[in-house]
Amino acid sequence: MPSSLEHAAAHSATVLSELAFQRLYDANATSIHSYLLAVSARRDVADDLLQETFCRLLLHPKSTAHLDPLELRRYLFRIATNLLRDRHRSGDSTPYADPPEPSTQPTPDTTHDIRAMLHHLKPRDRELLWLAYVEGMDHAEISAATGLNRLSVRTLLFRARNKAKQFLSPASPSL
Amino acid sequence: MTPSRNTPQDDQLRRAFRAYASTLAAEHTPPSAAAILFRAERRRRRAAIERAERPLLIMQALGTLAAIFAAAWLAYRFAPHTLPTLDTTTLALAIACATLVLAGCAAMLHASRSPSA
Repeated sequence: MPSSLEHAAAHSATVLSELAFQRLYDANATSIHSYLLAVSARRDVADDLLQETFCRLLLHPKSTAHLDPLELRRYLFRIATNLLRDRHRSGDSTPYADPPEPSTQPTPDTTHDIRAMLHHLKPRDRELLWLAYVEGMDHAEISAATGLNRLSVRTLLFRARNKAKQFLSPASPSL
Repeated sequence: MTPSRNTPQDDQLRRAFRAYASTLAAEHTPPSAAAILFRAERRRRRAAIERAERPLLIMQALGTLAAIFAAAWLAYRFAPHTLPTLDTTTLALAIACATLVLAGCAAMLHASRSPSA
């Protein structure tokens, strides 16, 4: 029968320490928060889902103990994407009701165009474009982060990119 | 073809996305890590309480089942056609036992549904 000391050691090995968590959070929170903001377009939802994403990581430390920082980052994006989809499926999807409009705009035209373009696209297209262009992920990484098949990612991303370019082109009537 | 291929349009799109991302990041700071640690700790405690209460819930279910069977057996054993054959003391004891078992079950169910401290 294991002693209480052995129990404590096993516990500390499986639970992420506060310092390690703080480091992990500092490294990933801003990008995941921006991703959630861009896809959900709601500050309250982004805040809530970000907390839930990291909460799940803290509550299941064993499943992430063997991951390197890059894999952990992809894993976090996977959790965030799943949470966004769950929210969308549950019917609580009122996107752009409270759009995160910046108060200061260093590049007003670009910011406005991208916001309008994201508004125009489906949530999945927003996810794919964000992961590809902001996070710089390749097809395999996007596949790991979204749970989509790699070949599907290629096709869906191609279509999403075309839609985005079409929307942002000067001939577009929406601009 | 990878998403990072450098066609002029792709490059423009990437720059536009990144400009928007940096604007979002500058304007909206994520909640503090302490809030998340607090939320996770609260949820961990709740899960621990649920785990600890599970055997009690199983015992409650078993107790309810036992009470139902006991009541059914008592009803069968002391059915109206057998009542005249019983003496008053046995009948009173049987009724008292059944009442106690049912009252215990009701109290247990009530306690399990009331909010815990």
